[in-house]
Amino acid sequence: MSAAADPILTELELPRSNGELVFEEPWQARALGMGVVTMRALGVGVGEWRDALATAIAEHGYDSDEDPAAAYYTAWITALERLLAERGVSA
Amino acid sequence: MSEHGHDHHDHHEHGHDHGDDGHHHPLPASEAELRTRALEALLVEKGLVSTDAIDAVIDLYVNDVGPQNGARVVARAWTDPDYRERLLRDGSSAIHEMGYGGEEGHTMVVAENTPDVHNVIVCTLCSCYPWPVLGLPPTWYKSAPYRARVVAEPRAVLAEFGLDLPDETEVRVWDSTAEVRYIVLPMRPEGTEGLSADELAELVTRDSMIGTGLPKAPATA
Repeated sequence: MSAAADPILTELELPRSNGELVFEEPWQARALGMGVVTMRALGVGVGEWRDALATAIAEHGYDSDEDPAAAYYTAWITALERLLAERGVSA
Repeated sequence: MSEHGHDHHDHHEHGHDHGDDGHHHPLPASEAELRTRALEALLVEKGLVSTDAIDAVIDLYVNDVGPQNGARVVARAWTDPDYRERLLRDGSSAIHEMGYGGEEGHTMVVAENTPDVHNVIVCTLCSCYPWPVLGLPPTWYKSAPYRARVVAEPRAVLAEFGLDLPDETEVRVWDSTAEVRYIVLPMRPEGTEGLSADELAELVTRDSMIGTGLPKAPATA
């Protein structure tokens, strides 16, 4: 497996001008790693993930004072929480 | 100035361009950070993921696979003249041929180092980076000082990376954009005539493909 071949990652950069796979803070890298591992464990497809992420990004909104990577990975966490809740995995 | 004009879209400047080291001021954990920690704790508790598995993914994306992809491209170019020619003529296709990238919609351009020309890549406005072949960018790549200074005083920046170039070597700086990503084809090190492509790939460092370093010298037997 390679980063380039991972459909989750190749899909993710696509639609985002500021969605470059860049981490401004370590938690963002953990969010990414956690998402990839969880999606594999649950068998979440790329299309479903992309839709969930797009929804979360839209809901998150845009704030010019917010770092783009922070905004992106915040939406990522929201999408992940939601997918987990849909599958009955929650606290 | 850099070789190519920018066609950046709506990248706005990130909020971290004030420091001189790209580091962030120590803020208390953000809400997102706390949610991330809580989610990881939950997932581990439920047995869905392990912290080790997450670490492995991060390592893979941040450190390993990316530069290795690029290293294989470089090593093949060193050992296969036809491939080298294709790579320099149409980087996107030649890299895709190796199974890397191809879906991102950017054009990949390969800048070849020669005894007369040394190439280095940057993204002056943000952090565009050839990640399908190099993985995730190092922190310094997206730091404001690197982005500004490598254009203004490339030799001084390269010297800080330990790369002292002869005065007669021309330094070319390639400014990445959302659409065009560059990768440097470093020169094959001396004394590697007998090495296979796999052995050569071991010598190709990430920084040598950014242009802030050189490939490693072969181990002396």
